[in-house]
Amino acid sequence: MNSLYKNKHELWLHITFASFAINDEEIKARLYEFSLIAFRHMKWLGADILKDGDDYNYDRDMKLFKRQSVFEVLHALMKEVNNTSALYPQSVLGKRMRTDDDYLLEYLSQILHNETNNKEVTAFNMKRKWLDKSLAQEQIDALTMFLFEESYKEYELILVYAYMQARTENVLEFSIFQDLIDESHFHLKSFGNMMAKMGILALPRELHAMTYVIKDLEKFVTDGIAEEKAAKEMCRELSDAIKDEELSKFFDFINYQESYHIELMKKLL
Amino acid sequence: MFENTKLPEGMNPETLEHLMDPKNYGKLENPSCVGVAVDEKTGEYVIFYTQLEGDMIKDAKYATNGCQDTVVIGSMFSEMIIANNIDYAQGAIKKMHEKLGVMSQQQQVCADIVFSAFIASMINYEHKQEGKEEEMHVLKMKESCEGENIHE
Repeated sequence: MNSLYKNKHELWLHITFASFAINDEEIKARLYEFSLIAFRHMKWLGADILKDGDDYNYDRDMKLFKRQSVFEVLHALMKEVNNTSALYPQSVLGKRMRTDDDYLLEYLSQILHNETNNKEVTAFNMKRKWLDKSLAQEQIDALTMFLFEESYKEYELILVYAYMQARTENVLEFSIFQDLIDESHFHLKSFGNMMAKMGILALPRELHAMTYVIKDLEKFVTDGIAEEKAAKEMCRELSDAIKDEELSKFFDFINYQESYHIELMKKLL
Repeated sequence: MFENTKLPEGMNPETLEHLMDPKNYGKLENPSCVGVAVDEKTGEYVIFYTQLEGDMIKDAKYATNGCQDTVVIGSMFSEMIIANNIDYAQGAIKKMHEKLGVMSQQQQVCADIVFSAFIASMINYEHKQEGKEEEMHVLKMKESCEGENIHE
C-alpha cells in the first residue's frame, strides 16, 4: 500500500487536531484552513494512485501531539510537515504539495517568533469542564459520550465518502459525496473544538477496511440513513438534557443538518 | 481476579482513558486466528485478532465500527486476556457477563459482540488446527439482544 498516502493522511489529522487543540481563535482558524488544504492533497494523491493502477488504504501509525503549550504543538507539527514533505514526488502535484507545506512552515515560524503566542494547551487535561457554563455531572457525561461517538462517526464518514467518491464515475454520486464530505468536515470541526474545550480531545480511532471498502452501496446508504436518524435522536436527547439555551440551540442546529443529510443520501439510492 | 474491573457505567477516569486511547485497537500483522462478529441488521461488526503460543494469548487486537461502549469493552477485555491462557479468557467472558448484568440491554449487546468476535477467533483457530483453510471465522448476531444471540 502507498506509504505517502498514509503519511499524508496522518499529516491531515495532525494539522486538524493541532487546530482543535489551540485556543487562540486566529491560529485555530488558520491551521484549520491548512488542514482542509491537506485533505485536498489527500484527495488528489488518492486519485493519482488509482490512476496509476495502485491502491491506498486508511491505515495509520500515529499518536496525537498531547503537548502542554502551543509552541510544543507547533514544533511537533513542523517536524511532521518536514517528514511528509520529504516524501513528495517530483510531479506537478508533488510541487503543489511542497509549496503549500512550505507556506505552512513559514506561517508556523511566524507564530513561533512571537512569544505571546505560547499559551497553555488545555485540550488534553481531562477536566471535563465547560468554563463559561455550569452543567450538571449527568449533562457533562452525556455530552462526553456524544462527542466521542460523533467525532468518530464524522471522521469515518469523511473517509468512507472520500473512498467512494474516488471510485465513482457517476457525476451525481461524486457531487453528493462531496456535499456529505463537506458537511462532515464541519461537524468534525464543531465536535473536535468542543472536545478540546472540555479537555478530552482525542483522535478518532483508526478505520478498518471492513468499514470503508463498500461492496453494496444501497445497503451502505440504507444503514447510513438509519445512523443519521439515530444521530438526530441523540442530538434531540442531548438538546433536551442540556439545560443551557446556547448548547441546546447548537444541537438542534446539528439535528436539522442531519435531516438534510438524509435527503442527500436518498439521492444515492 | 476481576473484582477491580470497572465497566463503563458512569464516567470514571479509567473509562475516560479507554475512550480517549482505546487499548489494543487495530490489526495484528500475523495473527494465529481472526474472528468477526457482525450484526447484519445494523452493519456493526467487531473483528478480533488473536496471537497464540500454545494456549497462551500472547497478543490480541480488535477493531469495530460500533459505538463507544463496544470500544471501551473491547479495550478492557483485550487488556484482561493478553498474557493469560484461553481458559482464563473464557472465564473473563463469564465474569464480565455477570458484571454486565447491571448494565443496560444495549451495553450488554455491545459486550456480546466483542466476546462473540473473540469466540469466533477461537473457532477459526480450531478450524486451522484441523487443516481447514479459513481466513477468518464469522459469527452473526441475532437482531434481538435477549437470550442467546449467536448463531453460525
